[in-house]
Parts: sequence; structure tokens; C-alpha cells
Amino acid sequence: MSDILSFDDISFKSRLLVGTGKFSSIKTMISSIKASKTELVTVALKRFNKAKTEDDLYGPLLELENITLMPNTSGAMNAKEAIRAALLGRELSKSRFVKLEIHPNPHHLLPDPIETYEAAVELAKQDFLVLPYIPADPVLAKRLEDIGCAAVMPLGAPIGSGQGLTTKEMIQIIIKESNIPVIVDAGIRSPSEAAQSMEMGCEAVLINSAIAAAENPTKMADAFQQSVKAGRLAFKAGLMPSTETAIASSPLTSFLSSYD
Amino acid sequence: MKIKLNGENHNHSGNGSIKSLLDELKLNKDHAAVMLNGKIVPQENWKTQMINENDEVEVLVFVGGG
Repeated sequence: MSDILSFDDISFKSRLLVGTGKFSSIKTMISSIKASKTELVTVALKRFNKAKTEDDLYGPLLELENITLMPNTSGAMNAKEAIRAALLGRELSKSRFVKLEIHPNPHHLLPDPIETYEAAVELAKQDFLVLPYIPADPVLAKRLEDIGCAAVMPLGAPIGSGQGLTTKEMIQIIIKESNIPVIVDAGIRSPSEAAQSMEMGCEAVLINSAIAAAENPTKMADAFQQSVKAGRLAFKAGLMPSTETAIASSPLTSFLSSYD
Repeated sequence: MKIKLNGENHNHSGNGSIKSLLDELKLNKDHAAVMLNGKIVPQENWKTQMINENDEVEVLVFVGGG
């Protein structure tokens, strides 16, 4: 039976979303995207720079098959700016997906929940598939579900920090309460953390720095691809119950001592 | 014609349409989005939408981002 990730009427086989920032070259980015087998890729908007035309990565991305773009709203300091960025992103990508991110403090890049909520309300009304990057807050996640977000993307740890799933307990509550996909976005460093997210019941993970800043991004993309698949399979298989004491898996009959 | 392009002074020497400005910048037009004085100009209007002196034009492209 196929196990697909759906947003409205759009579905994906891959549960690994990949960001395109921080790669040392477009060539490495493209080979990493291919190795990751991702079908949903985030991009950012930037002013065109006459002196640095190689900045444009749209051309190389368009050449990839089976890739849907999800423009982000990075750089937006408030809801108004995020909405404008989303509209520009849609104009350019023709994609309904938007990764809504509003993080005004460059020191920690933590999402502003109030501006994010306000922007999400408006973007959902305008038929976007809104995937907001949020603090791991179950109440906020529920509110965003209620106003029509396509998914929620709680952070595992601050963007690019590689601190892993520091918000694990809160993400578990969000998963339990949500009727829309929960996607861990930010903080993940290793494939084992991605697998753990999937085992917990996340519908997908979004990885950027952990691939782009790896010593070998293409190999790491493959590692993440495999770990997300394994984690999802484990979730579907159902983990065994855990107990505080041992439960023997071999027979403990006492025949060895019966010849004393 | 003097305009503000991406926050900097720019002297446009074409016919004043968005399309002519983008031609001047020599970028792939399918890879750009345009805002004129804070409003998005859809691609289908680039030929007809004219720029006026001192207008603020933003030309945006996709770059890597997470």
C-alpha cells in the first residue's frame, strides 16, 4: 500500500523536505537534492544583483523532475512583509506552497508567533498551502490548524544550530493533538534525529543545514533519505512498549543447575 | 529616466516599460518577480506597465534558502 504525504490535493512519496540554503555551489545543491529524493524544496527571495547573476538558482531547479517549490518568507519582520513575500513567491513559482517564517531577531531566529498567526490567517484565505515555521507550542499549532494551515512546522532547535530535538516532548504533544501533518523544521543535525522524529509520528522533516553544511552533502542527503524512510516505516510498524524492568527474550529455565 | 531599483539609483534608458527595464538588466525574465512602488506587477502586464520618474522598482529572484 502506498504511503503518501498529502497537502490538499497535492501528494508526495518522499517525506523529506529539503532547503537550498548554505550550499557551497549550485552543483552540490543539485546533486544533494537528487540524492535526497525529495519532491518539495524550499527557496528564498532576494533582490536581483547585477554583479552576482549566478545567485539565481531557479534555472537549475526547474531542470529537475518531480520537484515542487516552496518559497519561504525569510527576511520578513512582520505579517505584512511575510504576506508580500508569499505573494511574490507565488507569482514566481506558481506554487501554492509557502513556508511562512517570521523571525525578527537575528540572534536566535526564533519565530514570532503573533505575526506568524496573523499572516497565516490571511494567506490561508488567499488559497495558499501555508506551512508555518513555529515554536514547538501545542496551543499555537492547534490555532494554526483551525485557521486552515496545511501543516505545522515546529522547530527542534534554533535554525542552523544543529542542537537536535530539544523540543521533543512538546512536539509529541503537537503530534497527538494535530489533524494536519507535523513537520520538524530546524535544529536537526543527524539522520538519527530525523528518524526519531518520524518514529514519533511526524509526517515529514525539513532539512537544510544538516545536509548543506555536512562534509559531503550529497552522501548526507542520501543518509537522511534512508533515515526518514526507516523512521516512517518504524512508526507504521509500531514500536514495542517500553518497561522499567527487564522482560527476558530467552527462556530462563533452570535445567543447567539441576545437575549440581 | 531616474528610478530607484532595488534600493539604488538607476538610470533607465529604454522605453519605460517593466519589460524594457528587465531587458536592460539582462536577466532571465522567467526567473524574476517585480514590484512597482510596493505592488506586485504580474508577468502578463510587464509590456504595458510603465515606470515613471522616481518610481521604486524591486526585481526579485529565487536564491538558496531553508
